[in-house]
Amino acid sequence: MKQLENTFKLACLVNGKRTELEIDSSRSLLDLIREDLGLKGTKEGCGEGECGACMVLVDGRAVNSCLMMAVQVHGKEMVTIEGIKGKDGGLHPLQKTFIAEGAVQCGFCTPGLIIASEALLRRNPKATLEEIKLELTGNLCRCTGYEKVLSAVEKARGKK
Amino acid sequence: MPEMIVKPATLKELWKILPALPPARRYLAGGTDIVVACNGGCESSECWMDISDIPELKTIKETASSLFLGAAVKISDLERSAAVRKWCPALIAAIPYYASPSLRNMATLGGNAGNGSPCADGVCALVAEGASVLLELKGKKRRLPLKDLFLGPKKTALKKDELILGFEVPKRARLGAYQKLSARPYFCISKAAVAVTLEISGGVIKRAGIALGSVAPVPLYAAKTAAWLAGKKLSAVTAAAAAGIVKAEAAPITDARSEADYRREMCGVLLERALVSLVPLAGR
Repeated sequence: MKQLENTFKLACLVNGKRTELEIDSSRSLLDLIREDLGLKGTKEGCGEGECGACMVLVDGRAVNSCLMMAVQVHGKEMVTIEGIKGKDGGLHPLQKTFIAEGAVQCGFCTPGLIIASEALLRRNPKATLEEIKLELTGNLCRCTGYEKVLSAVEKARGKK
Repeated sequence: MPEMIVKPATLKELWKILPALPPARRYLAGGTDIVVACNGGCESSECWMDISDIPELKTIKETASSLFLGAAVKISDLERSAAVRKWCPALIAAIPYYASPSLRNMATLGGNAGNGSPCADGVCALVAEGASVLLELKGKKRRLPLKDLFLGPKKTALKKDELILGFEVPKRARLGAYQKLSARPYFCISKAAVAVTLEISGGVIKRAGIALGSVAPVPLYAAKTAAWLAGKKLSAVTAAAAAGIVKAEAAPITDARSEADYRREMCGVLLERALVSLVPLAGR
């Protein structure tokens, strides 16, 4: 804690890049991501932690950025959908299988679904269908294309 | 959004800066309750004190007789802890039904308890574990049985600025179960929930801990049912009789999620299911 004034000197890793900026201490993490960092892939859906459209990885774990404050990523590593890439710098295996399976309809929920699926497959590369379903309980798709999402995640297992 | 957020690095620093902060102030832990409330519109003059990265609150520590769970430990870290898996069977049984995986990466038991909701799955399980809560206010510490922290819906015995440091769970070998009834099985607030712990010797219950969620103004410790179970043989017959007793202890209301009579009835059903689920484990 270095301040009693209303600004905070934030330092964190964003998609592998060291990022330092002075922010309003009461900035929400979602506003930091979308407005201050200009990373518009992260979406605001419900603003209540129900839909998962705002998910990002913080220290490797999926979190709902609409319910976190920017100061809570100080000193941490954050990955947004823009930081999800394949080893060759092209599309990530999950992005490829989402496209191949037709798992993207309007696309609003897709960044969150990719983030949640990536967190699962990093932790559990051989996740079963049941484990995938449980992991995605916090991601809503209002186009209701869940079956294709599940098969996309299944097909991405073991791919790097 | 609040007016400002301060982020003390240690407890010592928290107590040092506290007197200079605006009087309308609250602690921020995982944010999964207060930010939701705030996104719906909160007092913008508020100051939040972010305690989510204070190291003293993020530890899980074993002593000879108890397990300490820091107030700011994430629910997903509790689930991964071997010590929690060993000594908190009801809490471990509750975690899959606790919000969603990403919210479990954010939420904390300290935040849950401070929020004072009678529906909180983690708190209900901890009450059944016989946990105490450790509190500190400017260096002055006190301890309460967790069940006594709650005074009413969203009302706790916490004094202004008093901070939840963590919880102490007695290290006694026991079985645990958690039964939750909700509109869908996962990621849903309960209509009713029952947490059970049993210490068993030779098939006989030596000590029971029973807590009820969403059926009273507070996460309710079912003292009468727990006392009745002590000394009984764990069996389907005992489970059915206990179900009748617990229904009289619940004090539910009708609200958006369910009806009082149904909740009361289901408390009995959930307790019976929880006890029956432990019968095959009792001999081990």
